[in-house]
Amino acid sequence: MLPWVEKYRPKSIKEMALPTAKVSGHNVDLAEDLKKFVRDFFKVMRKVNEENKQIRAHNRTVPEKEQKDELEIPPDKAAVLLEGPPGIGKTSIVYALANDLSMEVIETNASDTRTRDALERKLKETTKSRGIMDFIVQTKEKLILIDEVDGIYGNNDRGAVPTIINLIQKTQFPIIMCSNEYKQSLSSLYNKIRKFEVHPLSNTEVIKIAKNILRKEGIKSMHEDDLELIAEKNRGDLRGVINDLQGINQGMDKGDIELLGSLRRDSTEEIFALIRELFQNVATLREARELTDKSDVDYNFLYKWVSENLPTFIKQNENIANAYENLSLADQIFGRIRKNMYWSLLPYFYDLFAGGVVIPGKEPKTQGFRRVVFPRFSASGRSLSIAEKSLVEKIQEKYDVSQTEIIQDFLPFLRIICESSRKQLKIMSDWLELDAKEKKVVKKN
Amino acid sequence: MTEEIPVWRIKYLPKNLEDVCGREKVIKRLKETIKQGNFPHLMFVGSEGIGKTTIAQLFSKEFLGKYYTANFRLVHANIPLTEQERNQAKAGTYISKSKIGSQAGRRITMPAFIKVKIKPFVQLKAFGDAPFKVLIVKNFETLGPNQQGFRRLMETYGSNCRMILITTKISGIIDPIVSRCQLFLISQAEFSSFKKLIEDIAKKESLVLEDNVIDILYKISEGKISRAIDLLQLCSITGKNIDMNSLYENSQKFQKDLTRSLLLVALKGDFNKCRELSRKIISTYKYNSHELFAELLTEVNKLPISKFARCKIIEMVSNADYRALDGMDTDIQVSALLSKLCVLSESL
Repeated sequence: MLPWVEKYRPKSIKEMALPTAKVSGHNVDLAEDLKKFVRDFFKVMRKVNEENKQIRAHNRTVPEKEQKDELEIPPDKAAVLLEGPPGIGKTSIVYALANDLSMEVIETNASDTRTRDALERKLKETTKSRGIMDFIVQTKEKLILIDEVDGIYGNNDRGAVPTIINLIQKTQFPIIMCSNEYKQSLSSLYNKIRKFEVHPLSNTEVIKIAKNILRKEGIKSMHEDDLELIAEKNRGDLRGVINDLQGINQGMDKGDIELLGSLRRDSTEEIFALIRELFQNVATLREARELTDKSDVDYNFLYKWVSENLPTFIKQNENIANAYENLSLADQIFGRIRKNMYWSLLPYFYDLFAGGVVIPGKEPKTQGFRRVVFPRFSASGRSLSIAEKSLVEKIQEKYDVSQTEIIQDFLPFLRIICESSRKQLKIMSDWLELDAKEKKVVKKN
Repeated sequence: MTEEIPVWRIKYLPKNLEDVCGREKVIKRLKETIKQGNFPHLMFVGSEGIGKTTIAQLFSKEFLGKYYTANFRLVHANIPLTEQERNQAKAGTYISKSKIGSQAGRRITMPAFIKVKIKPFVQLKAFGDAPFKVLIVKNFETLGPNQQGFRRLMETYGSNCRMILITTKISGIIDPIVSRCQLFLISQAEFSSFKKLIEDIAKKESLVLEDNVIDILYKISEGKISRAIDLLQLCSITGKNIDMNSLYENSQKFQKDLTRSLLLVALKGDFNKCRELSRKIISTYKYNSHELFAELLTEVNKLPISKFARCKIIEMVSNADYRALDGMDTDIQVSALLSKLCVLSESL
């Protein structure tokens, strides 16, 4: 049985609800542009290949010094990037396009193959060379899809970004990349190629597609209101909507309409539920592991949620200390993973921050509803607020010492002085020419 | 007459080397240097907040005379680079492929700090008739491995720019750097000159000091003159007569006591409360984790607790500091330490 998402994946661009797209602020027709890109690619490629042939022939006749370099296809002709939120049809449009042009798609999920070697192995063969069969049988042209480009954790030393750039320069086939969000580490890639900003579908379109699917599945019991609710929850994420529909459909047999509520795909709600589940129901390491595996909450944040909400669920000091012992170790390990790319340490991190936190406690689990809160606090080094910054600058005009000294040594004194009386506050603020916001910083304590 | 400066510590900042309170020996040596018109790289060593930078600044000002502004720069080694500066550093120097040698086609990288903050200054020729430029690097020991980069710099550009390295811990500086510098140990101001300075201020501000007040002030401020002056100003707000009581009362308000109260709250065993307090401290003083743990450590040594407990707490703090070195989230490491302190409180 195929999941509905696969079952109803559009076979052709014509049967697709096309998302709107923009290139550097201008609306474009995504399907037409992509088609044009693929056609242009092969045109340019043919030209480049022919010229290279001549160059090679030329190079054979002259001494090494006078040889010319072979031409490369310009990067903006070789690859494009689709950027937009998950589930709006980026991958689908690529498959539909390939189907229309009768091409074969070679897909790689960049988040599976994190290292340079793995990526190279998978892609280089297909891009650089043509198999021997290609000369005998007329095979389909290929289209390379690099999905989830933003899932690549790359820096220039180890990452896959240089490999991708290299790949773009050497490719024999058009490359389409998909990405969810702008990543600073990929900026060198963004500069080279054209970027389509793909926008989510409107709710009415989503509902139209959903109704279509329901009709094909022969389901009539779904209310219009429920459909709207689902569409609203997913905010244009069509894949999410279809998944929800299937989920509800499988629960609907029991006539359980409340299933709707639990199927919300809203990510903060999901975290709330997950945190409660983790602290209140999990009893074994395996359960904890299953819970964190199942959720697609970003683990970058999940362990911060655990830290923030820990005292809500664990009350005795000794148990808090035990939990934090493991959590702090998890944080240390996570730091090493991120700094040195020791991805093999990731399992320890998972076990320590989830299971390691809830299992050592000997006190009975808390019962009933507890309020789960956002991780409010991030101690991000020395970042100052805007008001603080301008205050520091004003002080520096009069008293030339470093920012750190002002914050840690001078500002506390200024606060005490200003607190002592209104008159002092006025003297100081007149002297430093403070505005209302900066005064607030001085008064706050 | 310029406008009246309401902050005494700025008002009574020494204007030239003679005004510096105490430290006659060092000042004499520096004055001799100015007379000769030449000096090697210098290193100023001394504990926190006793005026190393002030002395270094005044020294370079008097040495360079009217060319001071163009040829002087003060750099803080422990302030992180801004986003813009980091990007600037990323643009590596590219050696053309046409060049001969193994470096051809390579990108040269150098530590961002040196590239952005040091090199542009030392490379350019001294302006005007000044014999050379003067660069002060504060908190030099925090540079860590980047110190290595200074070895060549100090030799290559030594004739163009002399450096004054300022540090609190000479043990944190690698030997090759120390051997390239002339050392100046800057000590605390002696009590006699401290007394003179305070009496002078008291006269100017028409304060009446009781006996012993100066002694106590000297002790409380731990040699940090700016702090002593701060305290004096604070006391003067309530009255021109300053006695022991007002001194003690006002000294209670000072910064370090917030970290102390953090320890005390933790040792009462209320985890939620002390976590809140720790967050407040971090957001107010912008400590990074290491600075906070260092503050805690000094406070632990002052607490009236048993030897056993003190050892235990120091062990915990060191452990937390070590983990925070690798960790991504300061808050988690601080909370971990606090939760352990809360447990410890039950056995005290």
